[in-house]
Amino acid sequence: MDRILEVNKLTKSFDKGKSYALKDVNFHIDRGHICAVVGESGSGKTTLIRLIAGLENPDNGEIFLNNNLVSSLKKVVQPEKRNIGMVFQEYALFPHLNVIENVLYGLKKNKDKKERALEVIQLVGLTDFEKRYPHELSGGQQQRVALARALAPNPSLLILDEPFSNLDAMMRHQLRNEVFNIIKKTGVTAIFVTHDTQDALAVADEILILQEGQLIQKDEASKLYNKPQSIYVASLFGNTVQLNKGLKKAFRCPLKEDCCHAIRNENIAINASDCEYVTEAKILKRTFLGTHWQLLLKLENGENLSVVTNETVLGDTLKIGFNSKDVLQFDE
Amino acid sequence: MKNIVFLLLVFTVLVGCKNDSKSSDETTLNQLNVYTHRHYDSDKQLFEMFEKETGIKVNVINSKADELIQKMVLEGEQSPADVLITVDAGRLHMAKEKGLLQPVKNTAVIDSILSPNLVDKDYEWIALTKRARILVYAKDRIDPTELSSYEDLVLPKWEGKLLFRSSSNIYNQSLMASIVANDGEDIAKKWAQGMVKNQARKPKGNDRDQVKAIAAGEGDIAIVNTYYVGKMLNSNDRVELEAADKVGVFFPNQKDRGTHINISGIGIAKHSPNPEAANQLIHFLLNEEAQKVFALSNYEYPVNPSVENSEILKAWGDFKEDSLHLNLLGELNKKAVILFDEAGWK
Amino acid sequence: MKQAGSSQENFSWKYRIQRGIRDFNKWTVFTVLILLFIAVPVITIFFKLFDGPGESWEHISKYLLADYLKNSLYLAILCSLITLIAGVFSAWVVTRFEFPMRTYLEWLLIIPLAIPGYIMAYAYAGFFDYGGIFSWLLSPFGIENFKLDMMNVIGLSFVLGISLFPYIYVSARAFFLTQALNLLEASRLLGVSETKSFFKLVFPLARPAIVAGLVLVLMEVLNDYGAAEYYGVNTFTTGIFRSWFSLEEPETAIYLSALLLSIVFVLIILEKYQRRKLQYTSPKSGRTSIDYRIQFNRPKQLVLTLLVSLPVLLGFIIPVIQLVQWSVRTFSEVFNQDLLWLSLQSFGIAFAGACFTVLFALLLLYFSKWNKIYSVQSASKLGVLGYAIPGAVVAIGIMIPTLSLDKNFIDWGWASKFIINGTLIALVYAYVVRFLAVAYQPLESSSLKVNSSIPDSSKILGMGNFKTFFKIEFPLLKAGMLSAFILVFIDILKELPLTLILKPYHINTLAVNAYGYASDEMVMHASIPSLFIILTALIPVIVLNKLLLKNG
Repeated sequence: MDRILEVNKLTKSFDKGKSYALKDVNFHIDRGHICAVVGESGSGKTTLIRLIAGLENPDNGEIFLNNNLVSSLKKVVQPEKRNIGMVFQEYALFPHLNVIENVLYGLKKNKDKKERALEVIQLVGLTDFEKRYPHELSGGQQQRVALARALAPNPSLLILDEPFSNLDAMMRHQLRNEVFNIIKKTGVTAIFVTHDTQDALAVADEILILQEGQLIQKDEASKLYNKPQSIYVASLFGNTVQLNKGLKKAFRCPLKEDCCHAIRNENIAINASDCEYVTEAKILKRTFLGTHWQLLLKLENGENLSVVTNETVLGDTLKIGFNSKDVLQFDE
Repeated sequence: MKNIVFLLLVFTVLVGCKNDSKSSDETTLNQLNVYTHRHYDSDKQLFEMFEKETGIKVNVINSKADELIQKMVLEGEQSPADVLITVDAGRLHMAKEKGLLQPVKNTAVIDSILSPNLVDKDYEWIALTKRARILVYAKDRIDPTELSSYEDLVLPKWEGKLLFRSSSNIYNQSLMASIVANDGEDIAKKWAQGMVKNQARKPKGNDRDQVKAIAAGEGDIAIVNTYYVGKMLNSNDRVELEAADKVGVFFPNQKDRGTHINISGIGIAKHSPNPEAANQLIHFLLNEEAQKVFALSNYEYPVNPSVENSEILKAWGDFKEDSLHLNLLGELNKKAVILFDEAGWK
Repeated sequence: MKQAGSSQENFSWKYRIQRGIRDFNKWTVFTVLILLFIAVPVITIFFKLFDGPGESWEHISKYLLADYLKNSLYLAILCSLITLIAGVFSAWVVTRFEFPMRTYLEWLLIIPLAIPGYIMAYAYAGFFDYGGIFSWLLSPFGIENFKLDMMNVIGLSFVLGISLFPYIYVSARAFFLTQALNLLEASRLLGVSETKSFFKLVFPLARPAIVAGLVLVLMEVLNDYGAAEYYGVNTFTTGIFRSWFSLEEPETAIYLSALLLSIVFVLIILEKYQRRKLQYTSPKSGRTSIDYRIQFNRPKQLVLTLLVSLPVLLGFIIPVIQLVQWSVRTFSEVFNQDLLWLSLQSFGIAFAGACFTVLFALLLLYFSKWNKIYSVQSASKLGVLGYAIPGAVVAIGIMIPTLSLDKNFIDWGWASKFIINGTLIALVYAYVVRFLAVAYQPLESSSLKVNSSIPDSSKILGMGNFKTFFKIEFPLLKAGMLSAFILVFIDILKELPLTLILKPYHINTLAVNAYGYASDEMVMHASIPSLFIILTALIPVIVLNKLLLKNG
């Protein structure tokens, strides 16, 4: 498959090398793929996409778009010449232009210009809203205008920066699905930045994990979930319990002590004696969380452990356990 | 809105180009560029008279003499200035020293009108009007027979009674220069220190303010210019009139060298594009008709002896002028300022 | 460890230079060119420094420097206090409370800017003088011949402070209108009182805006010549004039200006530094205007009206009453139709000057943004230094280089006479250099208010810098541009030394006319042209306010 985007040893510092926003990042995206960039705030996600868009110049490294070198130590192609579409976190709609003017903005002079604009407006489902101004639209509608505007010039790469962070939880899921349905429909290659791993897992073909400016893992969603390279990556995708010495002893599990192991919270079974490793626990506190309970447990050997379950647990003690196939192992 | 902006810009450019659009050598000969520190209505009137008489258009740049001189220095050979008019001799001397002036023609005529101390020895500048730096005193508190000279103001009896303005004022600097010239540096410095010791308040305000301060009782004796007293006596401000009425006028040093005078004068620019017209203007300003305008409308003493003083000046009577050559005021100006600073005259 | 090695390499000179070459673009060139254009007078003066001070330097440092420093310092401190109290307090009250006459007072508070400092000084000296209006007001109480002595540092600080506080009022109000409400509500909900919320929360957050205004105030104060000279207060600027003209030593004067310049330079750096530290003060979202005001009961409201009227009374009404009284007396002598023509010329010059100043401020702001070399970006801030140099010194700084150009043009046969000096070109150039800071500051702050992702998305959508500017930033910056324009317009209208030295023959301004009378101690006669200045300045002030209200 051909590569839409290729990034080699990309490096950027905002304080002359005292600290790095991005350091030696390498990856590529194939045509038609949707790639998510996940990381905590300050991990360099936004810097990465701004470098790809050409809004910042790298300190070192190379960026290729469609196999053309666009950023390097010697050359930087201006953002307006990169044929990239971008949806900003705050949508960045032009406040003094209405919907259709916003969408028309990036279209080259051409007699089909208006038709194309109407086409993408229809695609995002905003027909009849063409004459509205941004401040007359809801957050979700603004989001869709921003998407339409970015898609209108048929970009070779679409970048979305935290596209859903400004929306409430209800809207978020609905809009996420809508937006990515539209993206899939157009077949555009997309890279999107998020701190929400659920978003990433739900829609991305592959996921990049950034930590402190370094790319620590890039994989398909399921691989990333099942074979995280570090406890940090594992914990990004859900509550994870690190199996320390005390816990290993409590569960009487024969794992090597010098290896780092962890188990996902959802893989810890409650009242299940058929697991490979089992232990007795006393309930110290239970908290009702609607769909599930959170239990604070004290294990036989005095270790504390917090688990969640959707069963209603009666009594003061219970048995918990897990299976060796669910244990995550890291090299550290 | 855009149209208005455009129109205004066009308007401004047109106003700016008004000068350029009709520039040619011919018009240069028909105009005279005057750099002047004087901005009196009398001068406007005189320039209009000159225009009518000669057909030469007078263009005026008004600013402080110092700034005009700087401007001429920087403009150098291409300077459009034809004449420089200042309100003191020191600045004219400075312009001469910097090589900005050229001698006036028809010196015989000038010699026949002006006394020699009012003309530069190389005829590079000429006085137009005179002002005397005099003492005014509170009529109700001071017996004028007790007053005598500038030098006697430092006597202990005047402690806390003297009013004068700041030493950055050119008239004070010229007065100081004349004292340096007449009495020497040491005495001059002691004089300035004595003046500061006798001051009724810190130096501030202008000449008129000194007169008003006497009227209000802040002090009893002030050093001021005749010109401003004349203006106050004819003021349409009741306060100024009353203040001027309360003070008497005293011409100091009548028993020795005479009262310090300063001048308003004119010189022809070294690189004047139109020296003919400049000479014409100077002779025009010295003739009786023009001198009468100076004397009557501006309370200055005319330099042409055949012209009478204005009524107010006449009432003060004739006086003996210090005949010190005015060139010295310019030469000693800097020294005067330094002595002021050393003596603590703010 | 290997990585540490390579990261150091990223900032080796070889790589830095390579990146420098890569990031060098035409905007870098343009920024440097504009910067040079603006800085030529400053540089000219700077190079004069190497000639060393004149021989009177020793004299000055021995007898005068301490006095200059002391007075300038007093003046700076007192003026800061007065302008801060009057500016911040009134800005807060008009944005936060409802009271009778509020809408009128909101724009009346800007008007004191229209009165030149030296005119204000004359008016106050007259007002409190023997037999002045104040003593007349006191006479029914049996106090005769009262005089309040204005002619000292305190009086000078008062006069300058009361004419300059609108700089702080304008920037503080803009901040209060846009940023303060959410914070204040949060604070009130935490049970903190209105007054305490103001001092603990709003005031510290408004600091960058207030300091920006304060820097303008201080530069104006340090630059004042007319008022300080009249009041007999020896400041740095009077010292510059003294050493230049009385001691006949331009070198020493330039040395003193350089000293002053470095003080102002430090002020600017401090201001930038603290602004950088306080960048959290512009929250990205939130309600953007105060949409309701606290309503007290009637008597309390009237107290507010009175309190806010006080700066207007002191900064505008009293001096104008004095000027009107004088103008009635001198009307027959001074008033004629020429004054209308003069007003029109003043208006035209101020208009053209303000247009170009705003244009250059915009060019500097945006060219430096588009240039990708950071060091050039930070250097562009130096363009505002002209404001710190006394007008007369700027004039010399302009004349030295432009005259040599003019002379060359004549030598090369391109012109038969000066085409820069003695025409509007030199004058407007000087205004641009002198007032760039006044325009730059509101432009910069309003461009910061535009979320940077908006121009970014325009570029990603294929528009170049210029198209983005005209299609996106220009419409969004309009309000900032107008306030910049009007502040410069008023400044030029009042401006004196530059205009005197550089104006063409055929042009005269109201300020020059007023100065002519005032310098001949005919202060009363100066009142009519002064009133005309105020009237001419009033028009755009009203426009400014309409815009501030609309866009607030």
